[in-house]
Amino acid sequence: MSATSVQSEKLKVLHDLLAAATHEASATMSRWTNGLISLSLDEVRELPLEEVIRGLELDDQLLIMVILSLEGPLGGEMILTFDEQNARQLAASLLNRPVPPEGEWTELEKSALTETGNILACAYMSALSRLIGEDLMPTAPYFLQDYGASVIQQALLPQAMAGDHVLVCRTGFHRHGQELNWRVLFVPHHALREAMEKAIRASA
Amino acid sequence: MNTTVSEEEIQIASVGMGQIVVARKPFRLSAVLGSCVGVALYHPRLAVGGLAHVVLPQSNGRSDNPAKFADTAIPALLQEFQKQGVPPTGLVAKIAGGACMFQMRGPLQIGEGNIQAVREALAKANIPLVAQHVGGTAGRRITLDCSDGSLLVEIAGRHIEIL
Repeated sequence: MSATSVQSEKLKVLHDLLAAATHEASATMSRWTNGLISLSLDEVRELPLEEVIRGLELDDQLLIMVILSLEGPLGGEMILTFDEQNARQLAASLLNRPVPPEGEWTELEKSALTETGNILACAYMSALSRLIGEDLMPTAPYFLQDYGASVIQQALLPQAMAGDHVLVCRTGFHRHGQELNWRVLFVPHHALREAMEKAIRASA
Repeated sequence: MNTTVSEEEIQIASVGMGQIVVARKPFRLSAVLGSCVGVALYHPRLAVGGLAHVVLPQSNGRSDNPAKFADTAIPALLQEFQKQGVPPTGLVAKIAGGACMFQMRGPLQIGEGNIQAVREALAKANIPLVAQHVGGTAGRRITLDCSDGSLLVEIAGRHIEIL
């Protein structure tokens, strides 16, 4: 078996593991949004560092983001991203209000989005913790409006310290089967990736 | 990865993480930065510009991708200029980036380290640092205009400065 096919097989089993965690997070998200929203894991990719921004189609888009990190030795970052319109719609829907015109975000709107991130991350990490037999503890989420590329590049630093390729997992959202312009980018640090791979080997 | 852009190619080149691009008038070089630092070198008389997208401060002896680290990116960028027939004498530097994008403390707060390492590498190479827009907590989009060496800095859609 060539190095490339070994690598793609490794990514496939990681994909299967993370798809199981996404499935549980999807059920929780559906309850939080009254059955409106579901999730599916789009891809688990390993990309050369210089291509990652283009590969994730982030470029210079300004995004609304909710960011959480994993504390402890098995670290990582989870970044929930929306375009402005979708973020406004979600906040309005959760607050049971009409979609406001563009402008400054109120604390209540930010809170609705960060709570969404919190619920999503807790469900995802709880499932992943159980699947790999390790404790994963997300930090409190926070709201950020910035370039998606600026944020993801900082999340990639721990992997960039170890090599020139980085692993990123991207999850998409759907409303009544229609794809939304929301994403979750999950960037595990090297130790967490190893823990996931070890758990997969142990269960094989 | 190091690249030289010729006149037949695109007018605006995007410079990814750990990349170096050198181009001549009338091309423009662009990068989006968070904790990374963009190092723009420019030769005013020859109208040649180069941009390095520095990710980490120190290579610690690693030589796989010199453009990724501050201490190796500056020499690599000078080498690219040399390939274009541009001597180091007369080059000036402008830098931007090195923000702290995440609220929590810890090893991810590397922006300040990148800024310091880039300054040291420029001093070591005797390249004068003539302008900078660094630090803070917001992302930046920068564009180096190889026609005049101006560096456009956009702060996450909020305001624009020209260095």
